[in-house]
Amino acid sequence: MRSARILLTGSVVLSMLAAIGCRKEEEAPPPEEKVEKVEAKKPEPPPAPKVPGVSDTEIVIGTTSPQTGPAALWGSVARGTACYFDMINEAGGINGRKLKLEIRDDGYQPARTVAATKELVEQVGVFAMTGGIGTATGLAVKDYLAEKKVPWVGQGTGSTKMTDPMAHNLFAMFPTYNDEAHLLVKYITENLKKKKIAFFYQNDDYGKEALEGARKALEAKKLKLAAEVSVEVTDTDLASHVMKLKKAKPQVVILWLMPKHAAITMGTAAKLKFKPQWITGSTLSDAAFMHKITKGAWEGVHFDSFFELPDSEHPLIAKYKAAYDKFALKRNDKELWSTFFIAGFLFAEPLVEAIKNAGPELTREKVIAELEKLDKWGGGLHSAVTFGKDNRRGVRSVYLAKCEKGKAVKTSGYITFGE
Amino acid sequence: MLGQLVVSGIAIGCCYAMIALAMVIVYKASEVLNFAQGELAMVSTFVAYSLMLSLGLPFPLAAASALLFAFALGAVCEFAFLRQADEPTLLGLIVITLGMEMMLYGAAGWIWGADTKSFPSPISDTSVYEISGIIISDQDLTYLATALLLAGLLFLFFRYTRVGVAMRATSQNESAAKLMGIRTQWINTFTWGLSSVIGALAGILMAPRTMLDPNMMMDPLLKGFAAAVLGGMTSLPGAALGGCLLGVIENLVAGYISTEFKSVVAFVVIVIVLCVRPAGLLGQEEIKKV
Amino acid sequence: MDLKRSYSEDLKLLDGGWEWAAFCVLVVLLAVAPFALQDFYLYMINLIAVHCLVAIGLNLLVGYAGQISLGHAGFFAIGAYTQALLVIKLGLPFFVALPAAGLVAAAFGFLLGLPALRLTGPYLAIATLGFGMAVTQIIGTTEFFGGRMGLNVPRPDFLTDALSSDQRMYLVIVPLTVLLTITAVNLTKSRIGRALVAVRDSDIAAEAIGVNLTLTKTLAFAISAFYTGVAGGLMAMLLGFINPDQFNLIMSITFLAMVVVGGLGSILGSILGAILMTVLPQALSRFDNIPMIAIGAIMVAIVIFEPLGLRGRWLKSKIYFKTWPF
Repeated sequence: MRSARILLTGSVVLSMLAAIGCRKEEEAPPPEEKVEKVEAKKPEPPPAPKVPGVSDTEIVIGTTSPQTGPAALWGSVARGTACYFDMINEAGGINGRKLKLEIRDDGYQPARTVAATKELVEQVGVFAMTGGIGTATGLAVKDYLAEKKVPWVGQGTGSTKMTDPMAHNLFAMFPTYNDEAHLLVKYITENLKKKKIAFFYQNDDYGKEALEGARKALEAKKLKLAAEVSVEVTDTDLASHVMKLKKAKPQVVILWLMPKHAAITMGTAAKLKFKPQWITGSTLSDAAFMHKITKGAWEGVHFDSFFELPDSEHPLIAKYKAAYDKFALKRNDKELWSTFFIAGFLFAEPLVEAIKNAGPELTREKVIAELEKLDKWGGGLHSAVTFGKDNRRGVRSVYLAKCEKGKAVKTSGYITFGE
Repeated sequence: MLGQLVVSGIAIGCCYAMIALAMVIVYKASEVLNFAQGELAMVSTFVAYSLMLSLGLPFPLAAASALLFAFALGAVCEFAFLRQADEPTLLGLIVITLGMEMMLYGAAGWIWGADTKSFPSPISDTSVYEISGIIISDQDLTYLATALLLAGLLFLFFRYTRVGVAMRATSQNESAAKLMGIRTQWINTFTWGLSSVIGALAGILMAPRTMLDPNMMMDPLLKGFAAAVLGGMTSLPGAALGGCLLGVIENLVAGYISTEFKSVVAFVVIVIVLCVRPAGLLGQEEIKKV
Repeated sequence: MDLKRSYSEDLKLLDGGWEWAAFCVLVVLLAVAPFALQDFYLYMINLIAVHCLVAIGLNLLVGYAGQISLGHAGFFAIGAYTQALLVIKLGLPFFVALPAAGLVAAAFGFLLGLPALRLTGPYLAIATLGFGMAVTQIIGTTEFFGGRMGLNVPRPDFLTDALSSDQRMYLVIVPLTVLLTITAVNLTKSRIGRALVAVRDSDIAAEAIGVNLTLTKTLAFAISAFYTGVAGGLMAMLLGFINPDQFNLIMSITFLAMVVVGGLGSILGSILGAILMTVLPQALSRFDNIPMIAIGAIMVAIVIFEPLGLRGRWLKSKIYFKTWPF
């Protein structure tokens, strides 16, 4: 009978959902977020305060994040920022106001990023935006946020398109892939004294901009890359790619990939008895994590980074780790203490500093002015954040490190581009 | 390099072949394209991972339990979702499988999180054998052995067991099978369970190599599709052949033309095969009665 | 669902006083909206309108002509890139580039329709799947199209001082959508529409009574691709930036879901489906993973419990109230 079948289907579905629900303890959205009833209808916009997002007791900051979808690995950045705000609020907030983070999932799709950003700016009424991951997603909202003059710190992408042309409100906390690769090549040729370099990159703007940087750096020394091999984001079998790299017999291979592909590469290369010196960019700088998922094959890999790493001895890292233990693990006991999580702190640090410096009379223009004033600011995880009237690239230096016994060990101090 | 490309191609091709086999089994039984195949396999692989990590079960036990889980999951999906639809159109069935796929993907992301994990496996990642310059790893041999074993077992299963024969009867003519006393509804459920198990087996074998995350089976699913189309959606040996061929063609294109085109190969293959010989290499032409 | 007593009744766009009144109210609301609503709502309406166009196009192919397409993201991409390139490289104004985008997509639709003549059922589904993915891959590997890096798309820039960019896009998108929707409704009531339905119900019988099967099937693909291509061009302008990764399998599946959930074989169904599938992910975006699970569950539930889709529910409710208390 139809009703019996419906009952049966319903109970099967419900039991599946219950099974899922029992696994995950924390279903409710984290306490910092507004607990609103979810309806398909749109909510009433709040009465506009004099300065959007600022009241006597709190400052509302928004972020879009790929919590689901192909880039879900970077979803921990937004959760890192949430943890950072929890830490600040516990210490009393900023000038008497608590920070509230509104996270919206954009699934790494620009159309959703635009919708979510507009909702945050117009419906929720945020004071500023932080974070955001991806080039396409960032570019989709760049003009809108500039039009609305919303201070925005730190899109998670090294694409030059974010700061060129420069937008008055957008402060980038990421070195360009171009510069990063350029610097890595310099390090390889001058410090490691190797000349035969191959480049293994992800076939999108992330990888290609880095490729350009590497090529230019070698041209300046009248050299060329021994091999340039690309991989698609969706590829899972890299045997042919590694074979092509091996054929070129390079001394050094630069990896510009996602962690997953880097891990697959290490495994495949080990099987094919291909053992060059591996060097990677900052995306793969979480040595402990990479060591774990490559089951130790990551040993000896060199990489660059532009902020303190999860296992560093820096006092701020200890402070943030305590906050992670206190707040983040409670929300989600599977949260990883990883570079992406820490990046959430990094992106928000300048914004928090600027809000602090702007004083109790808070406006968007003041915060932008304060951000511009930051010059070699070392109060955060990066040692010398510098903006300026015409400069929106806050990070221009990286340091080199390598993976030793599963941990990151610095091999150089900060090197700045152009030096 | 040619020999190495071919050998590696056959190895990964065996994985594609397994997925293609799973798909063909379902297709032959009920003419449904199972888009949820990849996610069923992925969820079962995650279950194996959880069993090994949280309960500390040894690999063989965890894998076996995961395969049982896969069977149950496949059967439940068929029972709870596909069977409930009254006289569904082909489009309706496709949409149901797509819906199941999205639900499973979302559930996996929710339960296990989206970060990449490494999958512990007793098959060594690094031990290899070298034969006249061509390297074959333990993993490659495992893939080949499993695929051959699976093909052999399926052959025997379909030819000599009662359930196997019943499945063949149901796929040829459902009404006649019913008249002969075969409980076709349960056969359908069993078919889905079996297909899910094969998919899960492929997933567990591939996970050490491709890393474990909710996206891991998206690409292999499409490759499995292409392999099934190439070999013939109605032919089991065709699926196996298609898988190996696809693996080799992909590698050759990547090695000699450009790695950029590696992923296009599968789709170009699909389009060409469907234009030239829709039934695939070993499939039979479908004759429609007017 | 009313009985049609004459040919002219069958051809009417709107049925009776109530429908005309509802239509007028809708037009008035749409006309007033850009001056009364905030940009966020306008953006959502723009997005819904674009998705409506795609859903209508896909419904013409799937619901009316009975074919299948899992690759409509490909036509969407073709429309978007054509529009972008015509504006960027040739400097054409957007109102010339848009129809051109639709026509180029229609040409590809026609090409896809040719092999579709030989393929039915699952094979057609796979072929369209292959097409959709091949298009994005080819765009991604060709530098002329901007490759993986994508293209920045210029937006229409009339009345820059008076209107915000969302209002401007609204004035471009919504009237165009209304126009194309009315065209589609007319199309379904015309000879072509009836030919499509005949092909769906029994293509061999249709050929027997004189419907040119080749022409009808390829035309179905072409018209569907035209609508999707125009929608793609509009989307390119709406987002301001396009790259191949956006036009993926998930997008094709979402389009198909819009049509099936909304109701096959009905323009109203397409609109309802488009509204649901656009608003739901946004409304649920503060929760991880829930949108995916929700959409999947809705897709399965609709096919099992209400194969006629949302529109079916709407019709059944109407009938229930009309025939109450029996």
